[in-house]
Amino acid sequence: MSEEEKEIVIKIKRSSKEKGNWWQEYKLKVDRFTQMTEVLRRIKTEQDPTLAYRASCHMAVCGSCGMKINGEPRLACKTLALDIVKKYGKNEITLEPMDYFPIIKDLIVDWTDFYNRMFKVKPRLYPSKEVLEGKADHRLKPEDQRELWKFEQCIWCGLCVSACPSVKNDPEFLGPAAHAKGYRFLADPRDTIFDERLKILIDSSWRCTYCYQCFNVCPRDIEPVTTIKKTRAYTKFVKEKTPVSLTGEKHAEAIAKSIEDTGKIEEAKVYISTYGLLTAITDMIYAMQNGKLKYALVTDTKVKNMTQIRKIMEGE
Amino acid sequence: MEKLSYDAIVIGGGLAGLMAAHEIAVSGYKVAVISKVFPTRSHSSSAEGGIAAYIDGNSDPNDNPDYMTYDTIKGGDFLVDQDAAELLSKKSGEIVRIMESWGTLFNRQPDGRVAIRYFGGQTYPRTRFVGDKTGMALLHTLFQRVSGLDIDFYSEWFALDLIRDDKRVVGVVAMEMKSMTPAFFKTRAIVMATGGMGMLYAHSTNAYINTGDGYAIALRAGAALKDPEFVQFHPTALYPSDILISEAARGEGAILINNKGERFMVRYAPRKLDLAPRDITSRAIITEIREGRGFPGGYVGLDLRHLGEDYIKERLALAYEAAMNFSGVDATKEPIPVRPAQHYYMGGIDVDITGQNPDLIGLFAAGEAACVSVHGANRLGSNSLLETLVFGRETGRTVAKFLSEHKEEDSNNLDKEAEKVVDDAYKFVKSESGVHFGEILNKLRNVMWEKVGIFRDEDNMKDALSQIIELRKMSSSMYVLDKSSTYNTEFFNALELRNMLDLAIVIGRTAIERKESRGAHFRTDYPERDDNNWLKHTIAYLKGETVEITYKPVRITKWKPEPRVY
Ligand SMILES: Cc1cc2nc3c(=O)[nH]c(=O)nc-3n(C[C@H](O)[C@H](O)[C@H](O)COP(=O)(O)OP(=O)(O)OC[C@H]3O[C@@H](n4cnc5c(N)ncnc54)[C@H](O)[C@@H]3O)c2cc1C
Ligand code: SF4
Ligand code: SF4
Ligand code: FES
Repeated sequence: MSEEEKEIVIKIKRSSKEKGNWWQEYKLKVDRFTQMTEVLRRIKTEQDPTLAYRASCHMAVCGSCGMKINGEPRLACKTLALDIVKKYGKNEITLEPMDYFPIIKDLIVDWTDFYNRMFKVKPRLYPSKEVLEGKADHRLKPEDQRELWKFEQCIWCGLCVSACPSVKNDPEFLGPAAHAKGYRFLADPRDTIFDERLKILIDSSWRCTYCYQCFNVCPRDIEPVTTIKKTRAYTKFVKEKTPVSLTGEKHAEAIAKSIEDTGKIEEAKVYISTYGLLTAITDMIYAMQNGKLKYALVTDTKVKNMTQIRKIMEGE
Repeated sequence: MEKLSYDAIVIGGGLAGLMAAHEIAVSGYKVAVISKVFPTRSHSSSAEGGIAAYIDGNSDPNDNPDYMTYDTIKGGDFLVDQDAAELLSKKSGEIVRIMESWGTLFNRQPDGRVAIRYFGGQTYPRTRFVGDKTGMALLHTLFQRVSGLDIDFYSEWFALDLIRDDKRVVGVVAMEMKSMTPAFFKTRAIVMATGGMGMLYAHSTNAYINTGDGYAIALRAGAALKDPEFVQFHPTALYPSDILISEAARGEGAILINNKGERFMVRYAPRKLDLAPRDITSRAIITEIREGRGFPGGYVGLDLRHLGEDYIKERLALAYEAAMNFSGVDATKEPIPVRPAQHYYMGGIDVDITGQNPDLIGLFAAGEAACVSVHGANRLGSNSLLETLVFGRETGRTVAKFLSEHKEEDSNNLDKEAEKVVDDAYKFVKSESGVHFGEILNKLRNVMWEKVGIFRDEDNMKDALSQIIELRKMSSSMYVLDKSSTYNTEFFNALELRNMLDLAIVIGRTAIERKESRGAHFRTDYPERDDNNWLKHTIAYLKGETVEITYKPVRITKWKPEPRVY
């Protein structure tokens, strides 16, 4: 158990109403156990008390410490400084506030819009009257409990939303976290407002582009995109379809056609035939600007073979 | 200053605060919750193992609430108020049922009913759990539930101080952190649900935000703390982040080793070995480290390797993952670095079993901020989550009743009082030089850890107390470098430190006075429990630099004190 100390450089993107934006550098010694929240705490108590950031639990359950670490959306507490040094092969780590969220100060962003989205999906169980009045008890199968628990573990950290291209482009899209939350209740056999939930979620679920960003960044492995897929599968229960969900169905058909023709998903072709050339190009430019294209390409490797593709399509 | 008016104000958005707010709101009163973090970021989210509950028809057939009460009393080394423990046990099943009905995804038995696991000190297994994230599951359920009610949330608002007249609380001054705007919340009832104070100690499993604000705010308003000397330490916190590694690891066969590779528990608890109680194990580890047999940095190893990779990954998944995620240690290949850390605060704002404080009309408290007292000298695992909900609810109900009986009375000069609270706080920002909070903070946390920690004795504690008083003096010349009027976290850290210092004085003083060893309070100079002289609650007030101490009998219903042997 050796724990040699190593000096690293932390570059933090700072901002304040009074002074505008600037980058500031700090040096400090860390060992292989040092979490990034500890790096921040030590900077604040020992070097620069003016640095502002949020952190609470230091164990990845409170969702306070989301930020960009070397450009990647991560929880600071779940990130060890030397792991980042090793991964990027340099002694310097950059910290920036999460994308998309308005910046309040330094690493602190404004979550108001995020919370509003979460509340839009009615994030609470509506049990039957009997259960609520204590006249009956729920039974829940262990396998249902396990399935729902996977999606229940969202800590409202916002990382998936900060990484999601659709949220930025489409004001009608609820975003990955709200979808995960919405689905967690949609799928709960104890809930009584299925139709109302479906109405809230279904149109929005077709506005996701399946770029898998949310899947990549979620620190609790919620897989918001999976919940969106699962929600789309409910489209057949909806009587009045919106233009978006109709387009969505068209998208699914286009994928099917592409696979029929070539045996693989030609992402660009499918995209264009669904959304039209203009939208596709704007989105690409957007993705490039945000350095997201490399992730968009990574997602291709997610689908490895035909069985998997079929599985995904059945999910739709 | 903006003035807002509510029937009741709950300070704290953890489990205790939200449950109290729920009860007040459903009784038809206008209530607001003030919390310095968004409610789901409260410390309650960290709780892992579970919540104890006796559920009629869904418990061990031999179990009953009396066993649960007895376990709690014995665990607390007989400093527990027995009527409080009885209430806790009696209401436990109902509270878990309510949380289930609101959507908490408790782990299930094959027939669909809520599952059970064993926890330390239980005669029969009765802990209900949601994987290893019970606190998170409960907190989200409850927050989501109350967010559907007519309750105003002031999230990321920092409570500064209470306003009182000669006998009642009449409001609280709080500040919106984002805009740094203060507001005076006028009210007839205040519930303090501000949680614990782990940051007072150099090593703690608590969240960074647990700075004991509520204890200090209550003290400054003239209310007493009960049993403030009782601080619980857990033997195995992950080095260096102090994330809790559950006792389950040692239960499954993990052993503690020092830097020589010795299984040192052989020397401290030859029969129980690594499964000795929390306090004994903590003391053993500290002794090893102090005598130079720890690893550099100050920790020992929790060795799982002999159990084999498959067993570790299957039975000890949690310990394995925590070590991997937060310390980068592969527990199948090397021991997990651990050391003891502060874990829980048994002391708290003095309240009776209805949640009411006897010093000030309109002051209530619940959860870790309060001392009811159900934990006595030592809390049993999985009883704290239960306490937050059971007594959060009792307190909320008491407040509703209180509101129906107490009409608003006129109070004079309140605005001036409120202005003064803000001015006092702003002192730090206005000064142009002095010391920074970090310097005082680090010293305070170290002296508490070294001298008012796991091992205590008169000389060390007296030395600590004089250092604390010195630091408190220094803090009056504390200054805040950041003059910004948006989200000035440096300012709030300075205020937290002010609170920590007020609490530290009280802990130090009362610990010196209690000349016996009981539960978590271990005195090397008085190693025995002394029921003749010390079977009583400490009641402490803070008057300037003086701590005024009185005592109050422990309420005993049917369980006579007996030695605490397991
Ligand atoms: C690692 C760990 C694991 C645990 N596991 C378990 C377990 O398995 N079972 C169990 O029973 N117990 C467990 N506990 C203990 C239990 O989690 C806590 O005692 C309990 O959650 C406290 O809840 P609370 O509502 O009293 O306070 P908290 O959840 O701490 O909430 C305090 C609230 O007060 C607010 N606040 C504080 N100061 C101010 C201020 N100045 N202004 C405004 N707001 C303020 C905060 O924002 C927060 O919302 C564990 C504790 C730890 C540290
Ligand atoms: S997969 Fe959908 S929800 Fe997830 S980041 Fe991409 S667009 Fe957003
Ligand atoms: S889904 Fe994952 S990334 Fe998104 S808010 Fe929840 S925990 Fe964070
Ligand atoms: S500090 Fe709680 S998630 Fe990182």
